[in-house]
Amino acid sequence: MNPKPKGNRFGFKDLGIGIGLRTVHYAHILARAPKIDWFEILAENYLDTGGRPAYVLDQVAERYPVALHGVSMSIGSTDPLNREHLKKLKALADRTKAHWVSDHLCWTGVLGRNTHDLLPMPYTEEALTHTVKRAKQVSEILERPLVLENPSSYVEFAHSTMPEWTFLARLAEEANCGLLLDVNNVYVSSFNHRFDPIEYIDAIPADRVVQYHLAGHTHKGTHIIDTHSDHAVDEVWNLYAHSVKRTGRVATLYEWDEDVPAFDVVLKEARKADRFRRALPS
Amino acid sequence: MKLAVLQKWMQAVVVHPGTTEQALRSSAANRLLSSSDLQKVLLPSPTLSPAERIAVYQEMYPLRMYDALAVDYPGLEHFLGERFREFVAAYTTAHPSKGYTLNRLGDHVPAFLKRQRRFSPRPFLVDLARLELALTQSFDESEADPLPAADFEAIPPGRLAKTRLLTVPSVRLLSLDWNAGAYLDSLRDENHRHPKITKDRSFIVVFRRNYSIFRLSLSPSAYPVLEDIVAGQLLGRVVSRALARRGSKRASPDDFTRWFRQWTSEGIFAGVKKTA
Repeated sequence: MNPKPKGNRFGFKDLGIGIGLRTVHYAHILARAPKIDWFEILAENYLDTGGRPAYVLDQVAERYPVALHGVSMSIGSTDPLNREHLKKLKALADRTKAHWVSDHLCWTGVLGRNTHDLLPMPYTEEALTHTVKRAKQVSEILERPLVLENPSSYVEFAHSTMPEWTFLARLAEEANCGLLLDVNNVYVSSFNHRFDPIEYIDAIPADRVVQYHLAGHTHKGTHIIDTHSDHAVDEVWNLYAHSVKRTGRVATLYEWDEDVPAFDVVLKEARKADRFRRALPS
Repeated sequence: MKLAVLQKWMQAVVVHPGTTEQALRSSAANRLLSSSDLQKVLLPSPTLSPAERIAVYQEMYPLRMYDALAVDYPGLEHFLGERFREFVAAYTTAHPSKGYTLNRLGDHVPAFLKRQRRFSPRPFLVDLARLELALTQSFDESEADPLPAADFEAIPPGRLAKTRLLTVPSVRLLSLDWNAGAYLDSLRDENHRHPKITKDRSFIVVFRRNYSIFRLSLSPSAYPVLEDIVAGQLLGRVVSRALARRGSKRASPDDFTRWFRQWTSEGIFAGVKKTA
């Protein structure tokens, strides 16, 4: 029996159920102002544009709560932090009154390059010390706690000395980070690396989880790829149901990035989370 | 293996344009980790070998680069067809992404095409890429309210010569030697009736109004006038230079009223800057 969850330690609000703001839905959102609790913004798409994306973002941020989600912080990289990027991220967060700013536990490039992929970390003491130091620096620059998402991954490093969930929990504690728990990523990696996803979720400090991600994936038989291209499978919903019993109601977001269907289809999929949230004691 | 070495090695493999086997054996990867030692760094899964596992990343990299460049260069993608994949590999090897956004990945495409010999007809492709880059840049520029026609007309005639006109930030001027504009327009033709690629001198201003991008053809005499305005020249100097040009670039006194009225109504000007 899980004790009654007390909410996250940062005081971040449960924003309810949201979806990622995507270009294909701009016209629908502006014309219909659909009933949805919040939007997640892919930060890098809005950092350097003053055109229509910026206009739409300002309209959305005026009507709905938003959170920023980045893909280029490269928190685990051995390259120096990109301070220009972080300053722009902070300015965007301030402008949109974002509830929080998240990125991924990963690295995206070294030697000045960006592969624009979320590349996996080895789970070693060296990598942990390095990432903790950088996460603290980022929180200082952003002037808010950094929220980090667990990645999906396709390789395991032979010299890792701890499982991903231990690395993530220690990182969150030592750098005082919030966590964005992507349940689909847990499932994808659990298949690819053959670990127990329940063990993973139970090891995550519940009071640090400020947001959930849910998504669909592509099963290749030999491995699963995190494509955000479909409905979530039952196993992922079951993991979500298990996890919310530990964390309580936490802002939940559905990601759909490939072959994105109509807005209402994505929203309907996101709303499936209601069933599990309603089952929790108030 | 130290974190810094591991990351350099993995990146060298992931961005290699060849097969995974070639990537693992490449000099960039091999000087950091011998390909025969792969299993000392990556574990196998019950279904995939270490090489097959890192191949997941290595195979996704060119697809991501392809998608990013195809968004900004739909005309180039259509024209090159299957060869666009080869172009993406060559281009991203020469100009890998170094920024936090993929939106700037294609910034060097016109310059890259200009100095390569693999893709032809080169001068047409350069013009097509210049036009597509201008459209992308115009899309991302900051928004500015257009100058109301009344504000322009309110300038006393005696002060016009000492006035500078500011254009909206999204303005891009292009002088093209090939029919890249006609080719780009033909992409909308569902029957794929594309024009024959031919030399065709044209002058274009690209700009954005109410978050929509427009292309306006300019005459050979109007183009240098707008070019001078964008460069921040005083209107008196803009006019005197235009009247002094020779041949098709020479303006007549009647042209100015017509041009300024059209450009103001199109929303090309953002403001007036008077000098003392």
